[in-house]
Amino acid sequence: MVNTATTEQRHTVEVNLGPQHPSTHGVLRLLVELDGEIIVSCRPVIGYLHRGLEKMFEKRSYKQTIPFTDRMDYCASLNGNLAICQAIERLGGLQAPERAQYIRVLLCELNRIASHLVFLATYATDIGATTVFLYAFREREKCLDLMECMTGARLTYNYVRPGGIPQDLPDGFENGLNCFLDDLLKALEENDRLLTGNRIFRGRLEGVGVVSPEMAAAYGASGPVARGSGLNYDVRKTAPYEVYDRLEFDVPVYHTGDCMARYLVRIEEMRQSARIIRQCLKDMPAGEIMCKMPKIFKPPIGQAFSRTESPRGELSFYMVSDGTPNPARVHGRTPSFVHLGMLPAMLPGVKIADVIAILGSLDTVLGEVDR
Amino acid sequence: MNTIQDLFSGFMSFLRGMKITGANLGRDKTTVLYPYEKADVAPRYRGLFVLPFNEANGRLNCTGCTLCIQACPTNVITLTKLGAGKHGGIQDFQMDLGRCMFCNLCVEACPFEAIEMTTQFELASTDRNVCVFPLTSLAQGGAAAAEKNYNTISTALAAEAAEKAAKAAAAGESGGHGAAHAPKEGA
Ligand code: SF4
Ligand code: SF4
Repeated sequence: MVNTATTEQRHTVEVNLGPQHPSTHGVLRLLVELDGEIIVSCRPVIGYLHRGLEKMFEKRSYKQTIPFTDRMDYCASLNGNLAICQAIERLGGLQAPERAQYIRVLLCELNRIASHLVFLATYATDIGATTVFLYAFREREKCLDLMECMTGARLTYNYVRPGGIPQDLPDGFENGLNCFLDDLLKALEENDRLLTGNRIFRGRLEGVGVVSPEMAAAYGASGPVARGSGLNYDVRKTAPYEVYDRLEFDVPVYHTGDCMARYLVRIEEMRQSARIIRQCLKDMPAGEIMCKMPKIFKPPIGQAFSRTESPRGELSFYMVSDGTPNPARVHGRTPSFVHLGMLPAMLPGVKIADVIAILGSLDTVLGEVDR
Repeated sequence: MNTIQDLFSGFMSFLRGMKITGANLGRDKTTVLYPYEKADVAPRYRGLFVLPFNEANGRLNCTGCTLCIQACPTNVITLTKLGAGKHGGIQDFQMDLGRCMFCNLCVEACPFEAIEMTTQFELASTDRNVCVFPLTSLAQGGAAAAEKNYNTISTALAAEAAEKAAKAAAAGESGGHGAAHAPKEGA
């Protein structure tokens, strides 16, 4: 509690939620003004994790920017790698071989599952269901083991390169992956009985933090937040990249716009990701994984924009080249930042206990907000 | 009536949850008791670096070409060259792993497979200076390998220098004669 302010009619209290708060999932500070239990206003204070990544990109060669995108959305760093590599590829007119594209999609979907499992685990804990945390992390562990087999790292993969991927699938990866997907679907089904159908869980989420489709569109929401509000918007469908146009999958859309809808979208997305991965394994052609690259990569003067669907929403990179080996300007459009901007509009009028439910349902990653 | 229904359905969903928790009680455990037990690490894992020692040539593969330094986004590597050309090598090779992201870009950049990553991941320390790894701890085979590398290269360089000197001397003699004679003949 910081201070008490007297307005004309009543006392309101300003409370700091964070920056060190386990439920803000990172260093986010929410300055909420309370009237009793009801929130009058909310101001997210960000910047605790600012590292100046966009400036750092300008001082580094194109390839050297990739490991820094790992540190933006650290729950799904492969999507960041892919987004920036696509921008670089567009600048330089490169085209990744087909096999590399399939592997990229496969890994990104695997990463999406890992990321959504973190959401499931932490969100359930926020709401008070600690058991789910353990079960979801158990599944995520298998997923991370697979990623480690493939990329050599557990969180900061740095695995996409302009023009392809650095290494092919390791031996035994397919078997491991199939086993994991079987386990995952079983675990999701178990989770449906354990958590999704739980009275208390539903009671905490249904009708809480409603985002209307108009509001979602006005704020530029994307990903599960937009799809939970009834907007059928998925970059993988609207502007397919890599090989997504050849893969069959559904985009789950829920119309209630509350926390439950956003939760359900993510759970269903995991199932769809599993579907995509199975198709990738089946359709993947043999062949090269890296296209021919010049020794010193200097793309022609120009600009490029890439859009990808990260687990959190639409992740884009805008890149300007001035013909030197370093990019002249890079900007990242990160979904978490946009979604956090919705909080001041969503929170007034709700009870303080629901703040965590609403914040958690946006699934923001602070590394991406501050970058 | 509603309250009773509420209570009942709440109790049922509680029971259902407990059933699943109970079923999970019988499952194999998935955690290991680190540090007493260790989980397996994938062969591709990106851990501590090693500069492989080439037994056949009696030296490290590294030629001191600095490509890894240029590839590194965070200036981790500093090296001291030893000689140049065919027998070029390194005298020292220092990595400040406190800055390293283990991103693999240096390994990919090296044309001689002279720097590789191992699966060793226990690198935490309470002292920053411990994070700076000199050649003696990076070389495969440690200080002995670093010394062997130095000896092999300096011997080779000395031999090369001697050979060059001998050649230059020979060339100098014949060339010197020619130069000395030419003007005379012209005059
Ligand atoms: S792994 Fe990356 S950060 Fe570390 S030394 Fe190599 S290039 Fe530099
Ligand atoms: S490790 Fe490889 S890239 Fe680095 S200086 Fe030695 S030979 Fe060159």
